[in-house]
Amino acid sequence: MRKIRQIMKIPAMAFPGIAVAALCVFSTAPAMAQADTSNWKCEYCPFPSGYDAEVDVGASYVSDDAARFGNASGYDEAGGYLNLGGEGHYANDGYQLNWFAEDLGLDSRVFEVDGGRQGKFGFHLGYSELPYRLFDSTSTVFTAASSETLVLPTNWVPASLTSGFTELATSLQPRNIESDRQTLTAGANLQASSDFSLFADYRHQERDGIDIVSGANFIQGSYLPRVLDFETDLVDLGVAYSNGSLNLSLAWFGSFFKNNVNSLTWDNPFTSFPGAEQGRLAQEPDNEFQQLTLSGAYVADTLKSVIAFSAGLGQGKQTEQLLPYTINPTITAGNPPLSNLDGKVDTTNYALTVTSRPFSKARVKLAYRYDERDNQTAQSSWSRVIVDSFASGENELNTPYSFERERLSVSGAYRLFDSVRVSAGYDRTDLQRDFQEVAEQTEDSGWGQVRWKATQWLDIKAKGGTSRREIDRYDTDLAASFGQNPLLRKYNLAYRYREFGELTMSVTPAELPFSVGLSALFADDSYSKSDLGLTDSENLHFSLDLGYTLSETASIYLVGGVENIDAAQLGSATFSIPTWQAEHEDKFNHYGAGLQLRQLGEKTDLSIDYLFTDGSTSINMRENGVDNLFPDLESELESLRVRVNYRKSDRLDVDLSLRYESFQTKDWAIEGVEPDTIRTVLTFGADPYDYSVWVFGVSFRYLIGER
Amino acid sequence: MESPTISRFSLVTCVLLLSSSVAFAQTSTDSESTYSRAGADSCIACHEDAATMSIFKTPHAVPTDARSPFGSGQLQCEACHGPGGEHAGRVRRGQERPPVIRFGSGTATTIVEQNGVCLDCHSGDAGFAWHGSGHDDNEVACADCHQVHIAHDPVLQTANQPDVCFDCHQQQRSQALKPYSHPFSEGKMDCSGCHSPHGETTDRLFVRQTLNDTCFECHAEKRGPYLWEHAPVAEDCSTCHDPHGSNHPGMVSLRGPMLCQTCHSQADHQSFANGPDGLADGTASKYLLGRNCMNCHTQVHGSNHPSGSKLMR
Repeated sequence: MRKIRQIMKIPAMAFPGIAVAALCVFSTAPAMAQADTSNWKCEYCPFPSGYDAEVDVGASYVSDDAARFGNASGYDEAGGYLNLGGEGHYANDGYQLNWFAEDLGLDSRVFEVDGGRQGKFGFHLGYSELPYRLFDSTSTVFTAASSETLVLPTNWVPASLTSGFTELATSLQPRNIESDRQTLTAGANLQASSDFSLFADYRHQERDGIDIVSGANFIQGSYLPRVLDFETDLVDLGVAYSNGSLNLSLAWFGSFFKNNVNSLTWDNPFTSFPGAEQGRLAQEPDNEFQQLTLSGAYVADTLKSVIAFSAGLGQGKQTEQLLPYTINPTITAGNPPLSNLDGKVDTTNYALTVTSRPFSKARVKLAYRYDERDNQTAQSSWSRVIVDSFASGENELNTPYSFERERLSVSGAYRLFDSVRVSAGYDRTDLQRDFQEVAEQTEDSGWGQVRWKATQWLDIKAKGGTSRREIDRYDTDLAASFGQNPLLRKYNLAYRYREFGELTMSVTPAELPFSVGLSALFADDSYSKSDLGLTDSENLHFSLDLGYTLSETASIYLVGGVENIDAAQLGSATFSIPTWQAEHEDKFNHYGAGLQLRQLGEKTDLSIDYLFTDGSTSINMRENGVDNLFPDLESELESLRVRVNYRKSDRLDVDLSLRYESFQTKDWAIEGVEPDTIRTVLTFGADPYDYSVWVFGVSFRYLIGER
Repeated sequence: MESPTISRFSLVTCVLLLSSSVAFAQTSTDSESTYSRAGADSCIACHEDAATMSIFKTPHAVPTDARSPFGSGQLQCEACHGPGGEHAGRVRRGQERPPVIRFGSGTATTIVEQNGVCLDCHSGDAGFAWHGSGHDDNEVACADCHQVHIAHDPVLQTANQPDVCFDCHQQQRSQALKPYSHPFSEGKMDCSGCHSPHGETTDRLFVRQTLNDTCFECHAEKRGPYLWEHAPVAEDCSTCHDPHGSNHPGMVSLRGPMLCQTCHSQADHQSFANGPDGLADGTASKYLLGRNCMNCHTQVHGSNHPSGSKLMR
């Protein structure tokens, strides 16, 4: 247990002690050099005073309905949109008040206000919305009688298979899968003295709309349009001390989540077991989490070192009233052992980093981190009723998962020449878990890096390394208790050997009008001791950025990237040795280009941005030596944005914008899957994405005050 | 029993570090004689272009804030650019004007020196652990990301920040453009929503202590603890999700049901070889189509139902 601390002979609770000890040593700040500024009048300094603002009033026209296009943008429906935005600033004698507004006419609106007196106090308020639009091609037979109840049409005729749903066609009603997140923020800070400041931040998030969940019957399932009604309050309060060399912060964080929908009951559309005409799901329970964190850093100039630390103690609770085992009146299931879980999780997080420059060409770093999730929830015996249909007849214990993770990192860098810097590092991560097949695992990682700044404008970096994750043992007895094949090794618990490398080059000549950025990365994971499960994974990435300044008022850029992620896994359909292998090949390419022209005819700016992305996934399910290739999963996006800004007068700008986006996907998971295509699952019949949308916009920006 | 250990350890550390601090004590040098005669007015005499003068629209130019470079008694332009007396003075014909501190990776001023200027004032609010952070390790200059001479520094604007980060983090740019990702492209989310770019003592520069804690900032409903937990969810969201973007819905790292089958191998449907014969024009397998495993096991992030041990309730 706690191998790293054992090696270092340091108890976990000693780390705050180290920090406290370090801080007790360093208590003086270095003296600052002063100049004679008595004649510095700053007569030509145009400090802002008064009020200025820019107000945007505009309108847009969207050519087509497209849910995904409206995701985050708010432009999900065809038609006209009025929009309002802008920003304003007031300054007087050090007091400031600023406001910012964006997309007020859309579901992605943002409004923020901040102000105060810099160096004394500040405050901010904000409101924003974020639309999440998933599908507008979906339909359902369910109607929400309440946020917790979904009912079928009164004339619905249950059947054991979807093909038997005689009333399906007449019962389907369109139902978009979409939700919105609203966030209200407020905060303030006070510079109580030259050394001390106080801060407070509050965020209230709400998310409402419709989401997809599945309600399982015996061997059937139904897609359910559940109502989302989440509320979360997040609070940060703290005090900070800073005297230049020493910084400390004591902060309290609270997160309070409330789900206004506690359960979901639905009419079972399938022929059911006696009494199972309805099913009920639990919804995400209310929870709360509070954490106290002390963190800080000391810049020890005399030691040429910096010490940073953090210590956090947190506790999460969940006391939602539990539902009964079943709502099936024909089953005598008894009462659950608890009326609420009384769930409790303690978290502990420590970190200590010491960075030192023992001499000008060298730097060393030592970092230690400890994270613990200690689930204190009691174990109880539960007697499951299987999908509201029949009692399992078995008792099960809940498994409150806990883990401890420690990471020790040592690294050093040395400047061989003015232009060459070499560095190397070693990391060790220990992880202990309970209730899982692997109780202890250790990962050792080593890396080296060379950075060559051949000139001020040429910077090349090459990095490479390996890591090896070892486990103490894979508990096949525990795995067997879950019914797992004894040959399986879960990939997050398995032995893994990783090789990784990175090459980057940056060319930014100050005297020439172009810049080049090049990046190549690879990571190769081998799970060579896994007979079943993930066995290999390889990630390759290349990208190139080019920028060219044509003149003082014109520039162009090109970007491109290619990423391949390959993975292989083994499975056994016979609960023995491997009988199938799945080979995954994810590819993703992107290409972009743009042009910026400023001061065309002295009054016009033009920008054009084009982007093309192309993603595909190939899966080969090889069974008993026979290849079975899935059709490729594909996505293709084309995007064009053109913006023209015309300065009509000193006060008025006119913006014209054109946006085009097309997006097509091929996805066999939903392609051709109508609500009754799967014999035992009643789905929503979503279509793969396929849209082309034009957006035309015009807006007027009026300046109030000085430009 | 822990307290005595802390005390002993702290005491020993105190003594060791105190000894070291005495051994390494140095005296700083003073170079005030080289400052300009008129401060910013000297600079503006030549540097009156709009780009330079925009500094006066920023927090660095607030006279009433004593901490600001333009606060009372402060060194104005020379607070950051260093003593400029020689730079502003007369030079002979053909003589190169003595330089001041300039900012950015392509300048003659070393990055250590540049960043030292910034950290002289921002050691507190720039994060506790800049020294030793990934950006510091890789000698990233503050000015590589920040533009202090314009009213709205792009890296501080949600809509613009990802482009600044993606200049170096090109793989993340590629991932963010994938069909299933967080809303970076629409300018509604920035990198600093999850990561602290100045370095923190948190895990992997997260804004909260761990990755999961960071995810729960927006996805608090998944925090639990649930009666029936899904082990990887309780430990690390990235076991199944690629938070920067993926080719697959839900930003999962592999397509289901194969993703689930990397960990579930029971002697039933969990182990079926789901091939293309199960597509919609074939047998239309419920294990493959739609939400695949989640067609029934919908509570994949955990269930709080007494009968939810299989994550179906």
